[in-house]
Amino acid sequence: MEHRDLRLPVLVVRPGDLGRLVRELAVIDDRLLQLKLRQAGSEVKLPKTTQLMDQLIALNGLNLLQVGDRDWLIEALGAIKDHAPVLNISFSVDPSPVFMGKLMTWLRREIHPFVLVNIGLQPNIAAGCVVRTTNQVFDFTLRRNFAQKRDMLRQALIAPPAGTPVPEVNR
Amino acid sequence: MTIWWLVLILAALGSAGIAFIWLAVRIGNSGGPAAHDPTASLEDAANRDVEHIFNQEFREELRNRGRLHFEKIIGENAMFLQQDLRLTTSQLNEYMKTEITTKLTEEFDKYEQSIMDAKQLAIESIQKTNAAIDEQRAALSQQVQQEILTEKQQLLERFENRMADVVNHYVLEAIGNQIDLNDQLEYILTELETNKQSIIQDIQNGT
Repeated sequence: MEHRDLRLPVLVVRPGDLGRLVRELAVIDDRLLQLKLRQAGSEVKLPKTTQLMDQLIALNGLNLLQVGDRDWLIEALGAIKDHAPVLNISFSVDPSPVFMGKLMTWLRREIHPFVLVNIGLQPNIAAGCVVRTTNQVFDFTLRRNFAQKRDMLRQALIAPPAGTPVPEVNR
Repeated sequence: MTIWWLVLILAALGSAGIAFIWLAVRIGNSGGPAAHDPTASLEDAANRDVEHIFNQEFREELRNRGRLHFEKIIGENAMFLQQDLRLTTSQLNEYMKTEITTKLTEEFDKYEQSIMDAKQLAIESIQKTNAAIDEQRAALSQQVQQEILTEKQQLLERFENRMADVVNHYVLEAIGNQIDLNDQLEYILTELETNKQSIIQDIQNGT
């Protein structure tokens, strides 16, 4: 099985989330290796996993007690960490997990299965978002939309509504 | 004073006595040679007659007449000369008057003509200046009106642009924070869908 078959949970949003998974998986691997080398009769204390790791394991049907699964997961996460595309998306407010879940679902379905997102805050954009890829910036803000339709707004402001009496200008 | 009068009277009497004696001696000497020569006596008689006819009074009379005649001729000539002089003076005056009048008339005509020419030139110059001023004023007025229209248009455009910006800013400030991010999800996904290919292309090129 290749690392392309790995499915990232939607809660893994930022590269930092992926880094934490990698570190957590390394800790788990070390702990399980230590447990394997433990002396008979000593107390067994299994490592605790985070919700993020639980979702990752459940989503991919892995068993971390299996060395093969752990190794594959370590290799897959490492490869994804090194090569996953990263988008920078700025919002006016901090997005909720539910919102990010829906957004990440769409991004990983339509854009790339391992895409990661750095979230930024720009209160002045009011609504919408700004997406920055490696080489481009996509402005999806309401401000840009207003700017594009400024002529329409200006025409609407200049032209009086039908039936409105035009005031006479004193010269 | 009396002595001087007396001396003067005596001197006058003495002089009259001396003159009488000289006259008597002279008359006594003139009768001697005629008794000797008859021809000489005739000549003397002729001379005495001549002297008798053309005596001193007669000569004086002739002189007086000649003097009077000469004075008359002189007077007449003086009168003629005076008349000629007056006539000449009068003619000269008339001539001078006529000449001066003619010259003055000519000069006045020339002066008037010069004034008329200068007036005409001044009028033409003023008319040209007025025409130029009118043209300049018309051009300036047109330019000012054009500039006013341009400035007005620019102000209107600036105002319209600013007005749109103000409205946009007001709308964004008024409702920007009131829109829930979850409500924006559909709009964001629509925009992402629209630009999906560009994003994928950039990701593939970037990685």
